[in-house]
Amino acid sequence: MLIFDQLKKSDRKLRLVAIAILTGLTTLLVGLYFVQVISSKRYVKDLNNQSFRTVRVPSIRGQILDRNRLPLAGNRALFNINLYLEELREAFKEEYKLRKASRKLDRSEMTELGLTTRFNVISNLVQKLSLVMQQPIAFSENQFRKHYEHWTYAPLPLLTNLAPEQVARFQENSSKTPALNLEIQPVRYYPYKTTAAHVLGYLQRSEGADDDEETVLFNYRLPDYEGKVGIEAAFDKELRGSAGVKSVLVNSLGYRQSETVITPPEPGKNVILTLDLPIQQATERALRSRNPNERGAAIVMDARNGDVLALVSSPAPDPNQFTPRISPEYWQELTDPRQLPLINRATGAAFAPGSIFKIVVALAGLEAGTINPSFTMTNPGFIRVGNRTIHDTAPPGEYNFQRAFIKSSNAYFIRHGLDTGVEKILSMGRRFHLGEAVDLPTLQNVRGFFPTREWIQRQRGRGDPWTDGDTANLSIGQGAIAVTPMQMAVMTAAVANGGKVVWPRIVQRIEPQEPAGDEDTALVFPNRVRSELGVNPTHLALIREAMRGDVEDEGSGWRAAVPGMQVCGKTGTAEVKQGGKLVDKITWFVSFAPYESARYVVVVMVQSGASGGGTCAPIAQQIYRAIKEREAQRNNTKPDRLASAN
Amino acid sequence: MFDPKLNERPARIEWPLILALVGLMVFGGVSIYSATMGNWATTLKQVLWYVVGVGAASLFCLIPYHSLARFSLVAYWTTILLLVAVLIHGIGAFRFGARRWIDFGFFQFQPSEFAKLAFIFVQAHFLSRPLDELRLPRIFAKALGMTVLPFLLILKEPDLGSALVLLPVGLVMMFVGGVPVKYLLRLVGGMGILIALLLVDILFAPRNWQIKLEDYQRHRLLVHFGRDFAPRDATPEQRKRARELQQQKSYHVEQALISVGSGGLTGKGWRQGTQNALGYLPRGVAHNDFIFSVIAEENGFVGSMGVLALYTVVLFSGIKIAGRARDRLGKLLAVGVVVLLFSHVFINIGMNIRLMPVTGIPLPLLSYGGSSVLCSLIAAGILQNVYLYRRSY
Repeated sequence: MLIFDQLKKSDRKLRLVAIAILTGLTTLLVGLYFVQVISSKRYVKDLNNQSFRTVRVPSIRGQILDRNRLPLAGNRALFNINLYLEELREAFKEEYKLRKASRKLDRSEMTELGLTTRFNVISNLVQKLSLVMQQPIAFSENQFRKHYEHWTYAPLPLLTNLAPEQVARFQENSSKTPALNLEIQPVRYYPYKTTAAHVLGYLQRSEGADDDEETVLFNYRLPDYEGKVGIEAAFDKELRGSAGVKSVLVNSLGYRQSETVITPPEPGKNVILTLDLPIQQATERALRSRNPNERGAAIVMDARNGDVLALVSSPAPDPNQFTPRISPEYWQELTDPRQLPLINRATGAAFAPGSIFKIVVALAGLEAGTINPSFTMTNPGFIRVGNRTIHDTAPPGEYNFQRAFIKSSNAYFIRHGLDTGVEKILSMGRRFHLGEAVDLPTLQNVRGFFPTREWIQRQRGRGDPWTDGDTANLSIGQGAIAVTPMQMAVMTAAVANGGKVVWPRIVQRIEPQEPAGDEDTALVFPNRVRSELGVNPTHLALIREAMRGDVEDEGSGWRAAVPGMQVCGKTGTAEVKQGGKLVDKITWFVSFAPYESARYVVVVMVQSGASGGGTCAPIAQQIYRAIKEREAQRNNTKPDRLASAN
Repeated sequence: MFDPKLNERPARIEWPLILALVGLMVFGGVSIYSATMGNWATTLKQVLWYVVGVGAASLFCLIPYHSLARFSLVAYWTTILLLVAVLIHGIGAFRFGARRWIDFGFFQFQPSEFAKLAFIFVQAHFLSRPLDELRLPRIFAKALGMTVLPFLLILKEPDLGSALVLLPVGLVMMFVGGVPVKYLLRLVGGMGILIALLLVDILFAPRNWQIKLEDYQRHRLLVHFGRDFAPRDATPEQRKRARELQQQKSYHVEQALISVGSGGLTGKGWRQGTQNALGYLPRGVAHNDFIFSVIAEENGFVGSMGVLALYTVVLFSGIKIAGRARDRLGKLLAVGVVVLLFSHVFINIGMNIRLMPVTGIPLPLLSYGGSSVLCSLIAAGILQNVYLYRRSY
């Protein structure tokens, strides 16, 4: 080095000093290289850890629309007032000085005073706000301390769900206080309240613990909701979209300094149902016409393809009550053991079908040749099976198939059921997929119960063999059988459409909230046929004919008749017995219309009704009237979207 | 007229030194502006001190160092008096847990800074006696005594850092001056053992066996050597408290490291450092003792190298000047100044990267502070003085 050469050769000591200094400087240089270049990443990470907080920003939830894109579930603006702590720092300081005065405090006393000071400043502000808003505001010291300790950088929510006049009052009086901020939060909104509540489901506050797809560890999550049941749950991922990420720069005291949006939230998609809102509403009205708290279910289905046009279960919850938080009183109401509003009675509960099961028995008998439609049987008004006598609700007299079906003669069907044999009845039932779930994406499907050969054998092994009495019971839809109204709708549709057993469809498509212009972005769910019945079409025609007679020829379902609709149906009244004593009745009406080329299937089930014909048929009639009106209205206005849907 | 050859004189000004100093002052002003979040008042005050310092340094250049050295004893005893005075209540201002300043209102006078300069003068003067005398133990003892007196007084303030700086300065001056190496080796050996014992005592011995240090000094050492604050027999409660205390005490070092490290290769740019802006690096120290963190964060390794390069130029100019000095006095003055500046640079930058424990030692010319700027510039003036009068007989 230059300087070394310049030093006199003899000046050994000075050279030594120079070398020592050079060594020292080199040490620093190496140290700096190590810190700033080699391990820089580690320190950048530390820096980010201490000065950035990631905040999860939920996206706007997609809507659930009916087939005509009327919103069944949407979003509305919730007005909240949030408090920003960093805006109060000056106020904290001043108050702190005042309180401390000239006292000498040790460190922990200072911290404590600091906290109480902050709480007091905020609490005064909250008091003022409370006066302006004319509403008490719950704000406790514990709440503040927790927030201050963990989320100093995040706004502290003070008031939520402001009334419009409160919004106005706030803007007039307090909007100049920089620490208080009026913010809009989108919340789920079900404009028709209980309408289609079971299909839609409801939301609950999401804690995000099961969000395994999210790899980012968030310091803070803005409130987010997730679907608990129904479409909201089944398509939660699609509806929810993906949450955005916001990064908040915080200073050494934890106060917010600035924010950057790292990923904007991606709005959720819309789910378009097959439901038709006017029909759904009419069906609900009809089901509740007798009693607003009727326990029952009603389904309107497109007989040709299985599109569910209305799906009603009563009583129904109001999904609006679940967000932001459900009240304990309402929860009490929802868990009433008799009403059970949360149960979807159309798909999520199974009942004895009663006489409507005679459709299956009749078809089994016709196919087996054990029922001869022209054969006439004398009915004494009862039938003896083994040593048991079963009374017939139909009057004594001469019965052919048609009359037996219309009058729902138990004697006729028990006798022919026994003739046909349990094997054939069970095999016919399985062609209708009884005892199997319909797998609607409402996540409320039960299989019901339908005996299988294995089950019968198992029961025999347990000392409970299948007897003629059991076959007799099954022949009139009682005993070892439980079905859901939806299964009955599928059954009726199969009879009506000539043998297609469909998968009911309730979701048509999923689309982006703002369509990109081309249709490809939509996810379409086509109609699906589950299986073919594979029976003689004339036999199906016979049953359709009999069903028409049930409504139009003074049969048990005559109350369902609507002029010009050619309604065809079958009534059912199942008895629920406990220890041989009648405790309840399940009443049914399954139907389709029009007779010539079936379009609509209407199934009505009412618990504790009087009888299928007396309770359910009138409900079905109202529904058919509404459908007729709807058709007329639609023909007058715009092209038939109902019929054109796929 | 004049014969240019007759007029040709050897260079009078050591330009690399001057340029490096100007570079440091520019760097200092700019960095202090950034470190104080754009506080013009503080920045201008520092610039003012640069101006005053350059003036003082020029004054020191005008009078040949021989003449100055005559007053060295007076200067030395004056600073000793001031060091005593600063310890007296009512004279010394008590700030940050120490009595280091005499408050003149507009200027907090820090006698320890000036004591360092006076000490260099008196030591150089004392050691520039005939070499034979330097071999006498009596003389060695006197030289040692002159080092220890201000050392103890500054230690009492307490300002361990400034006190410790005196030791290498004194030792190197004795070494270069010609005090026999065996004396020095014995001294250094003894001190080494003493320091080792002291460290072992502080770091490992039970509490009541320990030498009484100021709590903050003990903590700094514990932090530096990564030792647990809690004594071995501590209860969980004590242990928890100790851990919290440790976190507080390690805070500056941690934050300085994060600042320096996150600067990376090229830094975040002037006034773009977040550590200081967000208050992680406490505002109170960012522009003085920890100015290097700010510089390193904003300018990266490149900037750090720049700073080191400027200091290297200053230090090696000093060594060159020492080598060219006319006499032993000049050489010793230059060596003393070089070692003083080097010690400051090494300790200050070292503590920013955890090479050294935290001590309140300013970075010459970069740290904010009147006394430090003034003394650094006067020290540089002394170097220039030695260079200037190397041939005037």
